[in-house]
Amino acid sequence: MATPSIQTPLPDEIASGAAPGQLEFTPQQLLANDPHEEPLIAGGVLCHGGFLDGDYVSPRCLFRTPAIQNWQRRLLDEGHALISLPTRYVPPHYPNYAQAKLLLQQGVVDPITRSLTLISIVEGFGARIRDVPLPDLRGEIVENIDGTALAHLDQGLLEAHARDEAGHRSEGGHKQMWEAARDLGLDKPEVPEDVLLQMMSGQRRSRPERAFPDLSERMEALISVMSNVMVIEIFAEDVFEWAKQLLGDPEVSADPAAGAAMVAHIQSDEKPHVQYLRTALSELRARTLRSEDGKREIPGQQVVDEIFKRQLRGMATQRPREQREQLRTEVRQSFEDEARATELARQFDSLDSGWVFPHRDDEPIEILLETA
Amino acid sequence: MSALRWISSPAVRFWRSARIGYTAACVWLRYKGPRWWDRALGRDPDARDLTRVHERNAEQIFETAVHLKGLLIKMCQVIGTRSDFFPPPYVKTLSKAQDQVPPRDFEQIRRVVEEDFGKPLDAVFSEFETTPVAAASLAQVHAAKLLDGQTVAVKVQYPDIDRIVRTDLTAMRRICRIYERFDPQPIELLPLLDEMQKHLELELDFRREVENADRIRGLFANDESVLIPAVHHELSTQRVIVMEFVSGIKVTDTDALQTAGIDARRVVNGLMSVYNRMILGFGFFQADPHPGNIFVQPGPRFVIMDFGLAKQLPKGFGMGLFELMFSMMTFNEAAMIRAFEELGFATKTGAEDTYVELARRMIGASDDGTFSGEFTEEMTDELFEAIRENPIVKVPTDFVLVARAFSLLSGIAHTLGHRANVLDSMGPGGANSRTESAFSS
Repeated sequence: MATPSIQTPLPDEIASGAAPGQLEFTPQQLLANDPHEEPLIAGGVLCHGGFLDGDYVSPRCLFRTPAIQNWQRRLLDEGHALISLPTRYVPPHYPNYAQAKLLLQQGVVDPITRSLTLISIVEGFGARIRDVPLPDLRGEIVENIDGTALAHLDQGLLEAHARDEAGHRSEGGHKQMWEAARDLGLDKPEVPEDVLLQMMSGQRRSRPERAFPDLSERMEALISVMSNVMVIEIFAEDVFEWAKQLLGDPEVSADPAAGAAMVAHIQSDEKPHVQYLRTALSELRARTLRSEDGKREIPGQQVVDEIFKRQLRGMATQRPREQREQLRTEVRQSFEDEARATELARQFDSLDSGWVFPHRDDEPIEILLETA
Repeated sequence: MSALRWISSPAVRFWRSARIGYTAACVWLRYKGPRWWDRALGRDPDARDLTRVHERNAEQIFETAVHLKGLLIKMCQVIGTRSDFFPPPYVKTLSKAQDQVPPRDFEQIRRVVEEDFGKPLDAVFSEFETTPVAAASLAQVHAAKLLDGQTVAVKVQYPDIDRIVRTDLTAMRRICRIYERFDPQPIELLPLLDEMQKHLELELDFRREVENADRIRGLFANDESVLIPAVHHELSTQRVIVMEFVSGIKVTDTDALQTAGIDARRVVNGLMSVYNRMILGFGFFQADPHPGNIFVQPGPRFVIMDFGLAKQLPKGFGMGLFELMFSMMTFNEAAMIRAFEELGFATKTGAEDTYVELARRMIGASDDGTFSGEFTEEMTDELFEAIRENPIVKVPTDFVLVARAFSLLSGIAHTLGHRANVLDSMGPGGANSRTESAFSS
């Protein structure tokens, strides 16, 4: 039986400005919007995207979506694979829907507000992806990269991603849209004072050793960043489902329709991110990398697979553990009345889905490969 | 006649007031003289470049302060931090008062310690260095050994400093009133004096400084990267603090850091992380991160000193500042306006464009014309220049202190060959850049 994987396919039929098989695009094209009639206003803030015939249209997809499809098709036609990851590696959002609903029903809103606010802030930090220093791709990759996603990273792809997440000039992005979803669903809750502190408190991890010290630092960093962000984006699918369910629940949401719809808009905007990142990583995987001193050649597959697995393991084990511990502490401290807090913690724990990463630290993990 | 009685005698009080008055008159005349001359010749007095006048005045004020010490030194230090209020030559010259204070005679220091402890120095300390390790406007620090052999740092307030402060404040207040009567468009100096007096009253009570240090030590109780020297509470009074003597490398001593094998990039990242947590997280911070107050041990571990200037930020300030930085990064004007207002800025006319102009000028002064999260000295200078020129009525003091702190940290980072990016060092993953955050997962 085939292992289920994260596909998050792009829609097949696209109103596109791109020609069939077109592989070269200008930055202006990759940042161009589809036409829409009405703008998206979220929480009184003008955001990106808009509505055409009542349907939400994601921003900057006029050329970007068909471009990614064309690059993927080319890669598959050349006999290479697109990387993906099995669904069983994706940690469910903690707290799950039932746990989160319990908290809201008990009037314990802060953990959910904190969680949604942190998501919005982290989304905003996605803007920094435009600042990733790129290596000399043409010099450090043996084969030609014309007509690939790789060659377009600094030609609009990273910039489009950055704008989607943090907004650009007068238009808000996912940061503002998550804030709006939170405010719609939870009726403009007061944001806990410790949100920024919590974001900063779990950050002091030691800097791991280089996996491939022969490669330039920038090359290894680029692969790490793309793997890291791709894993985050794939894991986010579960966050979207959780948030749509919770903020769309009339029993606990102040505006279920609008709250869930806002999350759905963000979810739709994120699809190109997963796709361009997996395309660029797969293109690297299909090529050969040159060491920094130019004396060695290393198969891209070896490098990408190793770094991707490393990122995946860290994201799927360490972070969920930290988040889980943090939230359980918050729940235990939710009421001054100790008996009441203990009872809530007991109910909360009883609803836990009990997910654990399916491999021990010393067991290998797999990457899924999608072929033509 | 004892030094204390001498310093507080009417003749000395008169002499101090006269010297302050003379300096103030010189400063005033250097501004007014050329204006009268220009008017007499039919020239536009506002067209004159006053840089040289600012420089000469600042030098004279600094010389007077070094001579009279006490409040004048403190005033120079305050002016040196208020780029929003004073022209750059004043800020540059008077900020020298941070680390160019001549020490007091040891006998004066001995007397304060013995008075406060009610016993001779050698009843408490087995050794007491007569040469101070540091001297500041209100106090100086000596190394000493307790009877049990423990090495300590003893911070001792200058004798009679409270009376000197009162004398100088009275003289300066009088001069300000005279100035306001004579000048048709006076600079509003009295509110600044009020603010200074408020802070000085707090700073002159060392028990408050001890409280600040204890509080910040508590905030970092579980963090081994921060060391706030422990205070011997039983030996600390309103004028004396006895604390653990902690050694370390001055944060800007690049050679010593390198010799000790301490990575400068990790120093910058770590220091930014510490200040981010204080300012954006805890809302309470040591507001004077100049290089003389920060030492580094292997780790890196940061030894932070001097909590006389510590600030409780209002609720929501951290998030407001974060939103301001974020909106400046994306240049989202509507979000910028909201953030400025949340931080407590207000304009005379209520015109929101003023905020956008402030941000535009600040961003324009960055290295590449964009804001990526670093408050460089050039950017904060430009912001405060814009504030002086624009019809801003209310600039929150908290913002000024925070901007100055980040600007000082930026200066430290640049000395170490790196950048002090606030957003990068607070970002998810926490390292200095998206690049590093990927490595750190």
